[in-house]
Amino acid sequence: MGNVEKLEALIQGYLKGKIGRRDFVVGGLQLGLSLAVLTRLTAPARAANLMDSAPEAPYESPITQERVAFLKTKPFKGTTINVMVLKTTVGDGLKYHVPHWEEETGGKVNVAEVPIETLHQQIFSDLASGLGRYDAYMTGAWFYGDFFVPKTPYIVEIDKFQADPRHPYWDPDQWLPAMRKLYEWNGKLYGVLFDGDAQALYYRKDIFTDSKNQEKFKDKYGYSLPAPPKTMKELQDAAAFFTGWDWASDGGEGWGLALHAKVNEQGFFHFLSLSAPYVISPDNKYYFFNPQDMKPLINSEGHLRALEDYLKLANAGPREEISWTLGQGWNLFLAGRSAMEPTWGDLPTLAQDPKTSKVKGKMGAAGMPGTTEAFNPITGQWKKYELNQVGNTNGGSWHCVISRNSKKQEATYDFLAFMANKKNAFFNSTNGWTGVQPGMKFEYLPPVGTASLDEFKAQNWDADDAMEYLKGYYSVLSAPVQQEYLRIPGTAEYWHELDVNISAVLGGQMQPKAALDATAAAWEKITQRYGREKQKVLYQASFA
Amino acid sequence: MKAKHVRPGEYGAVFKYVLLLPAVLWVVAFTFVPLIFVIHYSLANYVLGLGITDYVGLENYADVLASDRFWHSIMVTAAYVAISVPIEVVLGFTAAWLVNLGAPWSYGFRTVIGTPLFTMEVAIGYLGVTLFSSQGGLVPAVLGLAGVHVPWLSTAWGGIAAAILLDIWRWTSFVFVIVLAGLAGISSDLYDAAILDARNHWQVMWRLGVPLAWPVTTIAILLRTVECLKVFAIPYALTTGGPGTSTEVFSAMDYLTTVQFFNFGQGSAMGVIFLVMVAALLTVFFKQMRKRLA
Amino acid sequence: MTNILWLRASLISKVVVYVLLTLAVIFTLLPFVWAFINSIKTSTATFEPGAFIPFITFQPTLDSWHNVLSDPQAINAFISSIVVSVGTTAVALILGVPAAYALARFQFPIGSSDIALWFLSQRVLPPAVVLVPFYLLMVYLQLIDTWTGLIFCYSAFNLAFAVVIMRDIFRDVSTEIEDAAKVEGATPWQIFWKISLPLSVDGLVVTAVLIFAFTWNEALFAAALTSQSATTFSALVLASRSTRGVDFNIAAVNTLIGIIPPVVLYFFVQRYLARGLSFGAVKG
Repeated sequence: MGNVEKLEALIQGYLKGKIGRRDFVVGGLQLGLSLAVLTRLTAPARAANLMDSAPEAPYESPITQERVAFLKTKPFKGTTINVMVLKTTVGDGLKYHVPHWEEETGGKVNVAEVPIETLHQQIFSDLASGLGRYDAYMTGAWFYGDFFVPKTPYIVEIDKFQADPRHPYWDPDQWLPAMRKLYEWNGKLYGVLFDGDAQALYYRKDIFTDSKNQEKFKDKYGYSLPAPPKTMKELQDAAAFFTGWDWASDGGEGWGLALHAKVNEQGFFHFLSLSAPYVISPDNKYYFFNPQDMKPLINSEGHLRALEDYLKLANAGPREEISWTLGQGWNLFLAGRSAMEPTWGDLPTLAQDPKTSKVKGKMGAAGMPGTTEAFNPITGQWKKYELNQVGNTNGGSWHCVISRNSKKQEATYDFLAFMANKKNAFFNSTNGWTGVQPGMKFEYLPPVGTASLDEFKAQNWDADDAMEYLKGYYSVLSAPVQQEYLRIPGTAEYWHELDVNISAVLGGQMQPKAALDATAAAWEKITQRYGREKQKVLYQASFA
Repeated sequence: MKAKHVRPGEYGAVFKYVLLLPAVLWVVAFTFVPLIFVIHYSLANYVLGLGITDYVGLENYADVLASDRFWHSIMVTAAYVAISVPIEVVLGFTAAWLVNLGAPWSYGFRTVIGTPLFTMEVAIGYLGVTLFSSQGGLVPAVLGLAGVHVPWLSTAWGGIAAAILLDIWRWTSFVFVIVLAGLAGISSDLYDAAILDARNHWQVMWRLGVPLAWPVTTIAILLRTVECLKVFAIPYALTTGGPGTSTEVFSAMDYLTTVQFFNFGQGSAMGVIFLVMVAALLTVFFKQMRKRLA
Repeated sequence: MTNILWLRASLISKVVVYVLLTLAVIFTLLPFVWAFINSIKTSTATFEPGAFIPFITFQPTLDSWHNVLSDPQAINAFISSIVVSVGTTAVALILGVPAAYALARFQFPIGSSDIALWFLSQRVLPPAVVLVPFYLLMVYLQLIDTWTGLIFCYSAFNLAFAVVIMRDIFRDVSTEIEDAAKVEGATPWQIFWKISLPLSVDGLVVTAVLIFAFTWNEALFAAALTSQSATTFSALVLASRSTRGVDFNIAAVNTLIGIIPPVVLYFFVQRYLARGLSFGAVKG
């Protein structure tokens, strides 16, 4: 065969799903084609094969012809797959699609709902004991390291399923790169699109743009009230400014910035996001460990300054917020008593419900403020920047992975991909109750994506709020400098040690320096238990 | 009048074992077999996904004993037990005594006061968050009327105090139910005699009621102490040990180590250490109790 | 039955007793009332200062009730809790009561109170420590996520109550009747089953209520050993905490729903409590 025929066979094979994307790329590279050419070659070729809808698949759009033919055979009749999910929010989001998939394919989905308290334990008990009762598990992105401890990972790659056009169509290239990383390991895809978490700064646009407030601020601080704050200094000033007086003019107490900082909850994510620009910069991507020797970086000068500044922000909210879970922190903002809150996309979503929110239509959103100076913990140097803003993917980014013990991997993948199909993925990200946030480009407004405000308005969104939310969220996820996400074995335990020590600082029981040193010491112990060399390899793999 | 034991060897030599053995075997199978696992793990380094990677001798024990966090959790637990159990016993006993007087409507009082025994502790911990919150909580609102401001949920001592108050609410009913049953067994005739030479009602309670109800009360104290040493759900749901680890009780620490972080080695070692300490305490305690019971 | 002390008490004493009892009732009921108020609040109103009185300081909603009652898992969990609690109580009594009787009536090479202490000692073990071995044991017995598995575990934990409490109750049943029956030629089993047990029925009921209450309340094992079919209600309460923190309104609904079955039970059996145990106290 000549090269042209080879290439043709290769493309045909790829399109018909006989060979996977990876093999296709490898084959293409062998033929001397560059990666860029290959990507361009496949994308339109696949797209040409797509239809907007088909009567066999009322719940999928777009859809391939192979999929339509496949569905005609009711391929999963008699097959029941077992999926373990998180109870409420993201679990409800998954459950919503079950009857639709069952209708199209003839399969059955048995959903076990497990509280967040025991999800990790349930998943790994099922895997480590060899019981294997479940085909797929809904996973927080920080569980990944634990999946890759055994020689044969607990979960399976999905590339070969993804390339098969008989399964529901979705395009991993639509992911924002920072988000895609959380679904991959060592460059290979393991997770099927569901949720995409990131922390952004939400603020009261109406209060920040109010001329009286602006004057008052300028008198006090000597510069214009920044809406939104761009640097940590501005954030601190704005937080302090709005604390302790009734700027809402409703007779209640006003606060500058609300946190949900209860220990053993998700409070430390605040610190991770807010401390990122003190350490992460165009010159350094390592936040947690030195990849050479797995020594903790957490007690570096940059982290220390970040923690000292974080403490200042904690004073701009009620003292009790150090014992608040998420809902309580959000509540202060939704009740119109807090001017700002750094948190997840749940907040603007919840703000749309007039029953619980007084701030509908008053939301502003932006990326996390940056710094003008960052510390590089690897070289031990501070360096000045004009503005060092860092994106993050902090949070769970909940999605399903397929168990290596599953005997029905194909059906399982089919169901998961069904929810990743554009129509369903879009449904998830616009409906607040699903707890799903957008991680794919098409979920954003043009020019980035293909979403339209009408779709948000149909879900009772305020148009301005939706625009702000998508803009702020996108700026976090698409920021060129991104904070790393810890995905090594034992991540939950590493985070826990950081969490309790930060909480002790907020509670006034520990000095920042001592707390970070204690964290580093505890991390060393955990690393020893897991084995330093093994951790190092997995840490590096989690970056690749 | 004390119970008499049937003389040994008379009859029932086999029968008594038939009665006893199933229970013993059940406990051995479902407690002592797991305990052997626990001891085994306590000597090993366990990693999720790999299993036991190494046997480390007594290193886990040494680590636990050298850990400030462990000793702190023991102190918190001890303080928790030392404060809540006596209060629960006094309140439970008093309530049982009053209800047992049989005043009109005491049936209703009995029903209500026993009810908290049937609530779920996790739920009570969550309820406590809303009760003690400075944002719309009932307790700060009521205390606020009196000008008292307590930082319940933002300080260590406030958090422990709130947890203990919830514990007292939840578990006084346990003492109440047991003691009430004991008091009800005391014949009225005995009071007849006592009331003649007592100066007042309270003297009767103190001189007659307490001694007569002592055996049943000791059982209540014993069981309550054993349960309280394992306290977990109320403080965990209320503060999850925070701020920092300042309100962390032993069971919460052990739960995090063993169950959440799969650190079976250290989790098991601290469990064994705790077991030894409590068993020693209990033996002394029980010996004292037995003197009075025998 | 009215106590002689009450009949002879002065008016002041009577008033003091009523005041104290009323305070106790208020102290007991207040959290329930608060739970009810929470259950009809929105999540925002839960932490709104001054929102105490429905319709006046906040607008009530039945959303949380609707949410729980329309959740099929909640209904399943409710049934599971009842089955598991009843099953555990039965198994613990069937195994524990004969053992308690043996310890009360017969002598063993080891002191009977030492054996009772041995039974109690396993209750000392912190549950978190034995959770892992129990999980493995349940995997081995193929009892993960089953009612049977939970009943096995719980009955082992609660056996100590049956043994310790019932032992003391049997000790107080007069041996004279048993001696008489023995002279009549009754077998040991007949004496236990036909004489001692019926005489101890009050104590049996108290023990059963306590075991039921303890089983009903247990969440840690239930949350670890079940994931779907056998999940109990108390394990479900843990699920009031989600990715969005604790939903306090749902937790309040669960608090109130969760007390219904045991309180109904308690209501029916409390006349036994009033008849009393004697635990070695002097009987009339």
